[in-house]
Amino acid sequence: MLLSGNAETYSAIWATVLVSSYSIGCSLVMGIPLGFCLGYFNFRGKKPVRTVVDTLMALPTVFIGLLVYAFLTHRGPLGDFGLLFTLPGIAVGQTILALPIVIGLSATAVESMDKKLRLAIMSMGANRFQLFLTSLWEVRHGLLAGAIAAYGRVMTEVGISMMVGGNIKWHTRTITTAIALETNKGQFGMGVALGLVLLTIAFCVNASVSFLRRRY
Amino acid sequence: MALPIFQINALEHQYAGRTVLEIEHLNIQPASIVGLVGPNGSGKSTLLKLLGLIEKPSKGEIQFNGSRVEPFSEQARFRITLLPQEPFLMKRNVFSNITYGLKLRGSGGSMQKKAHKALAMVGLEGDEFLRRPWYALSGGEAQRVALAARLALKPKVLLLDEPTASVDAGSAQLIKEAALRARQESGTTLVIASHDLQWLFEICDDVLHLFKGKIFGKGRETVIFGPWHELSAGQWGKVLPDAQLLRVPAPPHPDAPALIDLLSAGKEPCDGTDDISVLKGTVSRLSLEKKTGHVFATVLVGGHPFTLRLAPDQKDPQRIYPGDTIAVHYRTDQVTWI
Repeated sequence: MLLSGNAETYSAIWATVLVSSYSIGCSLVMGIPLGFCLGYFNFRGKKPVRTVVDTLMALPTVFIGLLVYAFLTHRGPLGDFGLLFTLPGIAVGQTILALPIVIGLSATAVESMDKKLRLAIMSMGANRFQLFLTSLWEVRHGLLAGAIAAYGRVMTEVGISMMVGGNIKWHTRTITTAIALETNKGQFGMGVALGLVLLTIAFCVNASVSFLRRRY
Repeated sequence: MALPIFQINALEHQYAGRTVLEIEHLNIQPASIVGLVGPNGSGKSTLLKLLGLIEKPSKGEIQFNGSRVEPFSEQARFRITLLPQEPFLMKRNVFSNITYGLKLRGSGGSMQKKAHKALAMVGLEGDEFLRRPWYALSGGEAQRVALAARLALKPKVLLLDEPTASVDAGSAQLIKEAALRARQESGTTLVIASHDLQWLFEICDDVLHLFKGKIFGKGRETVIFGPWHELSAGQWGKVLPDAQLLRVPAPPHPDAPALIDLLSAGKEPCDGTDDISVLKGTVSRLSLEKKTGHVFATVLVGGHPFTLRLAPDQKDPQRIYPGDTIAVHYRTDQVTWI
């Protein structure tokens, strides 16, 4: 399928990689600082916030799809943006899916940070921002684990892509929605082949991350 | 007198509502060496954390070179550094750990050269250690690398919290030498918390005695900490590690620190009475107080350093030398409780 250069398959692969990269990028940019704050600082209401974040980590994708659809539809509050049935629309939904995972796992990584680290960094003369950056670097392996978990969830979800994207050929069809379609058509072989493509992408991402982890 | 490098006024620090440190006033002079002694939980580490601008005092103020400072203060953060008791290195190799602080300061010049020099100060070979990851170091090596990372910064103030507590004798000696060299070469002010009283009395200009968060004495006083035991009715004391009995009057509480004022010492012990106790010890050091002309003899009795002050006119009456075994006398009824 890949070797024969099937354009439809490549379009789905491209859509999958593009949309999951957008969503994981957004969720990391927002989620890591929020996760750091949640794990690092003690504040009133920290425990309830943590419980909410942990609960949201198990958000069903169809529920997110439904909510995002309701907001992005022409009659919805964000309908004017015209994001329904577009890749950015799917990315919005997937960001909502990944964000609690990134926040929760970042907070766990920061909480498990050695308490002596703060003293060590401050005693070398770091300012607040340098303290934040160095602390993040020290828990980089925990953050990476959170990012991989979130990426895996985003790349393999169907509900959001189907409901918000609409599974439009050449446009918003991702690998997972293509698998669902092929299965409905009875084309199990094609479905399995697309599944293997998804698995290959996941393997490549994990292999790259493992390489970076060994190096740093 | 020069402007104090540190000035503490009405300082109070609390953890979870409990006061752990209370200092009305304290000055530390630049380029001096100040020792902090006291039992565990007396507030030594807390004082170092406050001086190191790691924590903000609950009340009161700390001034550095005349300016009020607190954590992240721009006028002090590059000038003060603290070496904690337990060695802690960041998850990087030795080179990155040593140059981390230099990079924060935007320090120019060859980092490689500076890292080599800092490692040499603590007795480690740069070629052998610079590329080693943090997990491939022994406890003593990690502590020496942590000290090298601080010495590389040429700080104005180096705060050492039990720097030799968790390392072997060889590493301890290297750490002690490196700290003193920093003072000689860069005029660094040293504040050292340690249980190694002999070392502190040897090198410090001032030794502060802390107990339950308060400074209760200064200088070469003989302070012995409890616990004290009631040996018989009305008779209190403690058995020293060399099996000698240290007699004291009834303490206010079993852990109270006792201030013992030695009367005299001699090679021939005088007879003890009900009021005068005699202990045998070894002279470990004789030192001269330049200001007064007094000679201080440090006598180790069961591992505890007792300090005997000899006035200029009574100096060395019996030719006491380090290594001599002598008897020291004190009045039991004049032991002061702190």
